[in-house]
Amino acid sequence: MKKALVYIENGYEAAAIDLLEVVRQVGQNCAFETCALCLGGNGTAPEGYFDRVIRVVQPSPEWHDVLSITNAIEELHERDDFDCIVILATPMGRLLAPRLAMRLRVGLVADVTDIRLQDGEALMVRPAFDGKILAGIVSTGSKPLMMSVRPGVFSYKGARDKATDKADFIPMRASPRQVELLEATKKKTFSDIRDCEVLISGGGGIIKGFDQIQPLADELRGMVSASRRAVDNQIAPRSIQVGQSGKMVSPKLYLALGIHGSMQHFEGLRDVKHIVCANTDRYAPICSQADIVVEGDALEFVNRLLARIRRGKESKG
Amino acid sequence: MKIICLAKFIPDVDHFVYDYERNVLVRENMDLVLNPDDACALAYALALKKNRQDVEVEVLSMAPLSLLPNLKELLRLGADRGVLISDAFFSGSDTYATSCIIARYLADAQYDVILSGTHALDGDTEHVPVQVAELLGLDHMAYIVRFDDDSFLNGTCVFESEFDNANARFRVRLPCVLGVLAESRYKLPFVRYENLDLNVDDRVTVVTNEELGFSHEEVGIAGSLTKVASTWQPQMKKKEQVIVGNDDEGIETVFQFLKKEGYMP
Amino acid sequence: MDNQKILSDLSKFLTPEQINTNADDLYDARADRYKKYAKAKKVVDTPSPTAIVYPKDAEEVQKLLEYCNANQVNVIPRAGKTATEGGLENWKEHTLVIDCKNLDKIVKIDTYNMQATVQAGVQLQRLEDELRPLGYTAGHSPQSKPVAQYGGLVATRSIGQFSTLYGGIEDMLVGLECVFPDGHISRIKNVSRRAGGPDIRHIAMGNEGSLCFITEVTVKIFKYYPDNNKFYGYLIKDVDTGIKVLREVVANGYRPSVARTYSEEDAKQHFYHFHEGKSVLIFMAEGPLGIVNATGEGIEAAVEKFKDGIVKQVDSKLIETWFNHLNWSQQDLDDERQGMIDNDKHDGFTTEISADWETIPKIYYNVVNRIRNEFPRAKDITMLGGHSSHSYINGTNMYFVYNYDIKAEPEDEMRLYHHPIQTIIVEETLKLGGSMCHHHGIGKYRNQWTEEEHGSAYYMLEKLKAAFDPNGIMNFGTIFPQAEGVKYQQLDKQ
Repeated sequence: MKKALVYIENGYEAAAIDLLEVVRQVGQNCAFETCALCLGGNGTAPEGYFDRVIRVVQPSPEWHDVLSITNAIEELHERDDFDCIVILATPMGRLLAPRLAMRLRVGLVADVTDIRLQDGEALMVRPAFDGKILAGIVSTGSKPLMMSVRPGVFSYKGARDKATDKADFIPMRASPRQVELLEATKKKTFSDIRDCEVLISGGGGIIKGFDQIQPLADELRGMVSASRRAVDNQIAPRSIQVGQSGKMVSPKLYLALGIHGSMQHFEGLRDVKHIVCANTDRYAPICSQADIVVEGDALEFVNRLLARIRRGKESKG
Repeated sequence: MKIICLAKFIPDVDHFVYDYERNVLVRENMDLVLNPDDACALAYALALKKNRQDVEVEVLSMAPLSLLPNLKELLRLGADRGVLISDAFFSGSDTYATSCIIARYLADAQYDVILSGTHALDGDTEHVPVQVAELLGLDHMAYIVRFDDDSFLNGTCVFESEFDNANARFRVRLPCVLGVLAESRYKLPFVRYENLDLNVDDRVTVVTNEELGFSHEEVGIAGSLTKVASTWQPQMKKKEQVIVGNDDEGIETVFQFLKKEGYMP
Repeated sequence: MDNQKILSDLSKFLTPEQINTNADDLYDARADRYKKYAKAKKVVDTPSPTAIVYPKDAEEVQKLLEYCNANQVNVIPRAGKTATEGGLENWKEHTLVIDCKNLDKIVKIDTYNMQATVQAGVQLQRLEDELRPLGYTAGHSPQSKPVAQYGGLVATRSIGQFSTLYGGIEDMLVGLECVFPDGHISRIKNVSRRAGGPDIRHIAMGNEGSLCFITEVTVKIFKYYPDNNKFYGYLIKDVDTGIKVLREVVANGYRPSVARTYSEEDAKQHFYHFHEGKSVLIFMAEGPLGIVNATGEGIEAAVEKFKDGIVKQVDSKLIETWFNHLNWSQQDLDDERQGMIDNDKHDGFTTEISADWETIPKIYYNVVNRIRNEFPRAKDITMLGGHSSHSYINGTNMYFVYNYDIKAEPEDEMRLYHHPIQTIIVEETLKLGGSMCHHHGIGKYRNQWTEEEHGSAYYMLEKLKAAFDPNGIMNFGTIFPQAEGVKYQQLDKQ
């Protein structure tokens, strides 16, 4: 029976469980004994999904201690000889996976977003060129097959009620650590509109209701930005001004509320994936670039959309 | 103090041209630029050098010889040395083989810290700096957005990294490998007019396999443990526009659109 | 002669409020919009002037000029500060910027004789705002209208967006008052036309501050017909078609107030909402209803004649909206400046030229091809194009616009980008007999070609300079090249 190891990073338990789907696809439905590896305290989440759950203890490596986690998995692999090791491509996962792969002298396919079959072979698909190209990769060389997988892409639909065997694992070898964590602070908001994937932008057509945009931005996990008109009227700070003389932004989603879309504003939008406009004038230049144009008052649109989103959340929960 | 900056030259992904008719990315004549994350790392190193007399900066890159002019540009900005690892023998290397090659050069090199970018915009695996660290037996951390002002004194470095949901401050003991993010906004200057033709040949070294001594099976396509079987473009569609009113139907259209495109958690 | 002495001498006949030595203002006065980027980045290499002074009337201007003339102090006459060619740039250590701030009276509006008299520091927008309620307009509408003042508008032979109907400043100017370096005050009276020898108004009009200081002007005013405006917009195959249609309309005797054609890239930035990758042609007809209708018919006929080059007509509402958003405001300028400080870019430069109908398209294509093939940093160019916006019975202008990523330190930007591009435009224009300067003025940054521009007629300009400004105190470096200024012009071989 083949063996697969899935590393469960603290805080990403649900997403890590979905990695079982990757194992199923890449193994083309062949039977696997699935094993989850957790650090220290957290051990209950994967029960029922995996055949085995292993906790690394005494000591349990800290979340940032890639070296110790690598050592622990290497030791575990020496004992259990996995055919496949899958790691979630979180920021730390993307540092752990290559280190471990090099330690085990195997190839690693990073940031897998899909598995495709070609000539009977399972290709691990990943994006390149900033997402503009997809590459299908095969791993040569010895086992274990290693992958880091993008969270939220695969969905596990298999059994949840397995009789899971739980065990503790105490690593023998320790390496002197060089990286020391001084403090960690939870990130509340983004600080710069240039780094934000969702921007809710207010212009001259929503000056009176500009301060009511924030709740919508919160719902969509984005930031509020502004056109020059809003900044000139002193209802928005210059730091969130979008435009040629303000900031150039490339969000995935740009909601233009009451924005005319002058040349200099439009120059501030680079490579935006989706634009939704709310404007009383559908001939405003920016509307020509939108996926959806809502013809009407921007503030009213904000309130209506907010109400709809909140209704949607209530019915789900 | 000696800093080695890893530098990768990548195609300019910002100015890519997509041929909708043939459904291909137009790759011809794509400019090669310094990877943005790497540029930040080098910018920080050069700024540090400006403020302290004892800092030496070496730029290290692995690329075809045609990238020599690009490397020289970086020397004209103030880097002390440029090293280009280049040999047709290495062509086709994946990240594993690349890491082995770079690590072998570094095994004999002198340095206090190795700086690089975190992501490379083209491949974006983040593998090489980590794997080089592993081969050199060094610790590694990435996602750096800010170095503390008194970093790199007393054999340690304090910096702040940015993760999905949190920021963290770390202290590392040197030597180690560190990855910087473009969000750090350390900015590389431009070569001044009077330095545009500066001859920097005496500060450039090309390292070939003659110095590194790999066998055929260890590098290139033969030495790569992963191979690209095929590539294809994600479907790019021309925009179809929908115009709606500010009524229930219109709002529902927007709501469903946002949901479908994944903007609603 | 040193700055302290100058300031001390000035205080004998000017009040303290009239003398400005604030460091930021003096830094700002080192250069004009030609060096907007270097200014924003605080790397301007020219010297600060000694002071900025604000005379109250022509007599005080007279005292100032006499003083400067006797003491070899450079004089820069200044009004709205919208200069784009270095006309306000300072190349001398001892300089007085004489600013029209206090010359701000609207002296007389005479709607019967259709004339308005204003002092040099009156903003065009201000006069316009006074005229509109009375049913009149100045007819003059450069993009700088909200900020530009009459002194500069006359000193640089300015032209506005509605020139094809109302003409340029030369068609609007009646009389004026100006002061010469030797202190002489000349008042040219207001008459409808005169054959009193050569037209001496032209010594002041267009002098760019190199011969005299304009203190007051009288301009014609026009009846204002806002209700009849008709807009036309078309997507066309190429700039050639646009020029042919423009010629057809104007040569046939029609005078739309706006007649413009934009090349593809220029169209793309202005009309991103409807350009579809094509060139754009725009008309506006204005005036009494009968004339507007007839003009519209003339436009339609011209478009019909060249319909092979017309791709499609554009909704007039889009054109109208676009026009209403066109002019600068002080906020635009402040925002632009802040943007340059924050980002490593500016919104590009322009070089405007003129020629006859046949030659303009040739110049356009020669310029674009040469820039793309010869300019070493052509791949940094993000937009290269042009538009024709002022047509005459015998030709038109071409306003080249060029934006680029500035991959250089601010100190090197001019040498690596602006100058090589401008040089190509000027050379190609002069080669085919056009004028290198349609309405911005020669300033200081085209003065190396002034002689070539005028050929054997340069003699006449030189004599004027020798006669009126023998000591060379008026705006050193403007129009007439000076060896001392070459280092500021950064005229290195590239």
